[in-house]
Amino acid sequence: MSKKKAQGTNLLYQLIGEARSYDDVIIMGRGDPDFDTPAHIVAAAKNAMVNHHADYTPPEGLLALREAIAERVKRVNNIDVDPVTEVVVTNGGQEALFLMVLAVLSPGDEMIVPEPNYNTYADSLAFAGGVKVEVQTYAETDFRADPADVAAAITDRSRALLLVSPNNPAASVISPPDMQAMLDIAISKDLIILADDIYDLFVYDDFEHVSPASLPGGKERTLTLNALSKAYSMTGWRLGWIVGPADMMARVKELKAAISGGASVISQHAGIAALTGPQDAVEMMAEAYRRRRRLVLDALDAMGMKYGLPQGGQFVFADIGFTGMDSGEVAQRILTEQHVLAYPGSAFSKDRKDYLRMTFLQPEDQLIEGLERMKVAMLNMMAER
Amino acid sequence: MASQTKAEILARHDANAALKTPLPGQITRHAKDLGADGVFSPLDERIIAAASEALEAGQTHYVDVPGIEPLREAIADYLNTSFSAPCQSGNIIVTAGLQESRFLTIQKIGENFDSIGIPAVAHPGLQKALGVRARNVVSLAVDPHRGYLPALDAIADAVAGGCRLLYLESPSRLSGAAYTSDEVAAIGQLLGESGASAIWDQGLAPWVEGGCRSLASTEESPAQVTAIGEAFPGMGLASWFIGYIAAPDDQIPAMQSQKQIMAICTSTAAQYAALEASSLFPAAHPPRLAQLKRLKSYIAESARDLNLDAIAGDALNIIALQASGGAAAKLRAAGFDCADGADFGAPAVIRLNVNTTTAEALQALR
Ligand SMILES: Cc1ncc(COP(=O)(O)O)c(C=O)c1O
Repeated sequence: MSKKKAQGTNLLYQLIGEARSYDDVIIMGRGDPDFDTPAHIVAAAKNAMVNHHADYTPPEGLLALREAIAERVKRVNNIDVDPVTEVVVTNGGQEALFLMVLAVLSPGDEMIVPEPNYNTYADSLAFAGGVKVEVQTYAETDFRADPADVAAAITDRSRALLLVSPNNPAASVISPPDMQAMLDIAISKDLIILADDIYDLFVYDDFEHVSPASLPGGKERTLTLNALSKAYSMTGWRLGWIVGPADMMARVKELKAAISGGASVISQHAGIAALTGPQDAVEMMAEAYRRRRRLVLDALDAMGMKYGLPQGGQFVFADIGFTGMDSGEVAQRILTEQHVLAYPGSAFSKDRKDYLRMTFLQPEDQLIEGLERMKVAMLNMMAER
Repeated sequence: MASQTKAEILARHDANAALKTPLPGQITRHAKDLGADGVFSPLDERIIAAASEALEAGQTHYVDVPGIEPLREAIADYLNTSFSAPCQSGNIIVTAGLQESRFLTIQKIGENFDSIGIPAVAHPGLQKALGVRARNVVSLAVDPHRGYLPALDAIADAVAGGCRLLYLESPSRLSGAAYTSDEVAAIGQLLGESGASAIWDQGLAPWVEGGCRSLASTEESPAQVTAIGEAFPGMGLASWFIGYIAAPDDQIPAMQSQKQIMAICTSTAAQYAALEASSLFPAAHPPRLAQLKRLKSYIAESARDLNLDAIAGDALNIIALQASGGAAAKLRAAGFDCADGADFGAPAVIRLNVNTTTAEALQALR
């Protein structure tokens, strides 16, 4: 594929490929925490290899894991689910996302998507033959999705509303009153809500995350996904889940069996250990992200860069419009000239050519160095104009 | 207030019979579960050590979408050696098991064709993968006297009728019967002449003594065959769910992109386990095969003694029987599980895993 033509996810993979060729690269691109999986979880996996590797798993996952998930979503998200009929274990949040979209959207159906958003939703929707109806959000209002805009986007083909909170890449968190308003709209217009809670443990300052399925009338029309990838630094284990009402989950379960069968039993045992074991590593990592976020924001402020305040998540979506260049080009030049990988906004949305997504999934000294280098590259670009 | 939107979704789901086809278990649940087509084996401690070392060394992160390079190389080597399939690591996508291989190939390669020809009798996972997104299906009539493999005539008819993509199993996932070398060559020629493509499930081929020919190795149609299978079966990896797709260069990008969309990558630990399994497989497999051969011939003999009608099949890890409709239920009553031919499209057949309790199960069928 030629460099110029790559778009969306392909563009990201092209950049990842180039980043690998630099020994001194600083990765502020891919959403992969720098921490390795906590040792007690790895130990549980080893134990599973010895004692449980031949365990039978149904496509929806081991019951013990589903029970741990049900307990987790009750404790953290206040969602009540029956582990037998209302939980399906998936190969990561990614498979959960794909399954949710497939479960709800048929060809021609519309899904309302606050933009910018995680690009895989558009890809999955395209697979399903569904249509994305965008509702724009803006840095000036910290990428708040306005319920009034959502209501205005509804047509008679609307079937679903996507709510990723905290959002990737915009890092906005839907406030409790807005979430209530979103649910009210979903109920009055009879939409199914696809809720992506994958960053729910990363919420900053006084912002508050609420799961739509926890609100009265929410659960029966909401599928909620989550995964161990981000919170437990378990991206390589491919373990996530969907919870929702039993009738819809029966369909999700059939789809899971159709696309991949079960999830690795070893990963599932690791997942049980993650959810039921000590949580101090999670808190330690969350605390590190809080510090790093502050540090990155301070550096961006010093550079005079504009951004939507990251209310949650693991990244900041920053405005690079002042360079006068397309974000794909900017990301490319930052990488080639300064060996720093950040993701271009254009990979997330065609309308975000003015943005870069920077993750804070690197140690603090690396982040400082990365931002310094980025500044050098951008100053060079501006000097050329 | 009841949701009309939800009611519509559920009604569509209810109308989708393919998606609801029951699947035989992929892994054995208990000693009397004979429903799976894998071979249960303990996990070699070297595999445990290798996977643990990788995890402890920090291999807990995302890896490349199509798989870690050394495993792709190992699978390519294995396919070259065992199937004379001329492929390189770039032709391999590591999957989260055979069902993902089915889904990715059927849905993504299928996008390029108006229809797909599938055996009238095949693993129900095939119907399920098709059920996710409807495709035009051409049913290939099977020959009950050839282990329910599609007859060559049926394949020729489908191709003559304009069908340019076929999905075939060899060995058959129901009977274990495999196409002979000549038949594979004939199928290859047919496809080559008409420019047709095939998805070739060769997952049970390692269980055939002396190996069995892969369509991916025929000279007539090398560029048009995508082979799928389980990675290093019998090495205790069944519950790790790890499979492969071996495809021509031009088919890889679309499937790789879809793999990213639906999974990002396959479990890192599973890949390191499979990598270690690849080096143990050449020595570990032959004795396992020899043991299965003894077991299967003993089971076949018991079947004869009991006047049960075993179907000739080359794969040594399964045995299929002609049996009346109630056979599966009879087995269940005796505490055994089997794969029900009805789910494959052959109601008068049951399939049993070849292991130490299989002969006992036959007693229940008397
Ligand atoms: C919003 C969102 N959902 C889902 C995922 C999928 O994550 P995983 O499959 O690694 O669990 C991601 C990954 O970046 C994400 O950002």
